[in-house]
Amino acid sequence: MAVIGAAFAFGANLVSPRGLALTRNYFPAGVSRPVPAAPGVGSPRDVASTNLPASSPAELLAVRLKEQGLQSVDGRQAEQLFHDPRFQQGGVAFIDARDEQHYREGHIPGACEFDPYYPEKYFPTVLPVCQAAEQIVVYCNGGDCDDSESAAILLRDVGIANRKLFVYTGGIPEWITNGLPVEIGGRNSGNLRGTSK
Amino acid sequence: MNDRPSSWKRTAADIFAVLARWLLGAVFLYLGLNKALHPVEFLKMVRQYDIVQSSLLLNSIAAALPWFEIFCGLLLLAGVVVRGTAVMLIVMLVPFTVLVFRRALAIQSAQHIPFCAIKFDCGCGTGEVFICRKLLENFLLIVFSVWLLAGYGRKFCFRYSLLSGDAQNQPD
Repeated sequence: MAVIGAAFAFGANLVSPRGLALTRNYFPAGVSRPVPAAPGVGSPRDVASTNLPASSPAELLAVRLKEQGLQSVDGRQAEQLFHDPRFQQGGVAFIDARDEQHYREGHIPGACEFDPYYPEKYFPTVLPVCQAAEQIVVYCNGGDCDDSESAAILLRDVGIANRKLFVYTGGIPEWITNGLPVEIGGRNSGNLRGTSK
Repeated sequence: MNDRPSSWKRTAADIFAVLARWLLGAVFLYLGLNKALHPVEFLKMVRQYDIVQSSLLLNSIAAALPWFEIFCGLLLLAGVVVRGTAVMLIVMLVPFTVLVFRRALAIQSAQHIPFCAIKFDCGCGTGEVFICRKLLENFLLIVFSVWLLAGYGRKFCFRYSLLSGDAQNQPD
């Protein structure tokens, strides 16, 4: 019965449009993962706090990024890059490493959608943008979210220069907390919200 | 005609067990579907338990487990191979409960809060839940499964037992 059940389960995963590819490494930064130590893991408040506790999610992420040879940017640097004139000309690119639903609910204006769990779907649109950019800021939900890290590694693996890649550790929660604008819907939809700055 | 008290008790218990079987089936169907519809989320949850180091194994667990739960749920609802399914549920539920308990202990030691105040998404398909409630739910599911394994809940079954052909194990 267990064998029949297993056959059914793997067969259903195979035919499901949302099925997982068994041989793909979805976590290029490492399958193993420590238990988050801080309360309210990944919440905007924790990420935005200036008094982060020891081994907070943001600190753990910073350590992991360093191990992976990736660079990070904080909220202030991300904001500077957003206001950089090169951003309008494609010299700076923002990459949103969350899923489609979260992206459509609100992303950094002009950011490209790139869900690292379905990279082949997004490479055709994301790669030209990344190749043209001098600096690429990848972000997700901040805190203990490491999808931005996975996205950066995937981009590096397909030939995007490591020096161009920066992970915004605070992510979209910090961006919103800082009162910066978010764009609703698709890229360059013009539907902006929260433009207090 | 059998109107002895023990017989009535047995009948009442059996009817209640059928309801438990349907409940168990519906719960597993619901939980399985929740995970199967969001496989990436479930994959991330399985990863949080840090039980496997191989991506192939991790992917296999996250890919197969939700559909296996759906399979078990459908079998229970239909009343096919109930005791075999009950065994499978116990085999799944006991280690899951241990893992959830261990993870809650790890969170408790990190956050220094009362055990029952711990609330997290255990990847069980129900979102964030308080740990004590989750443990109680799992305990009840295990009790129901053991009850079915003991031979109750055979009414309205297509086929209670896969291998046995004797009258004792046929649907009522």
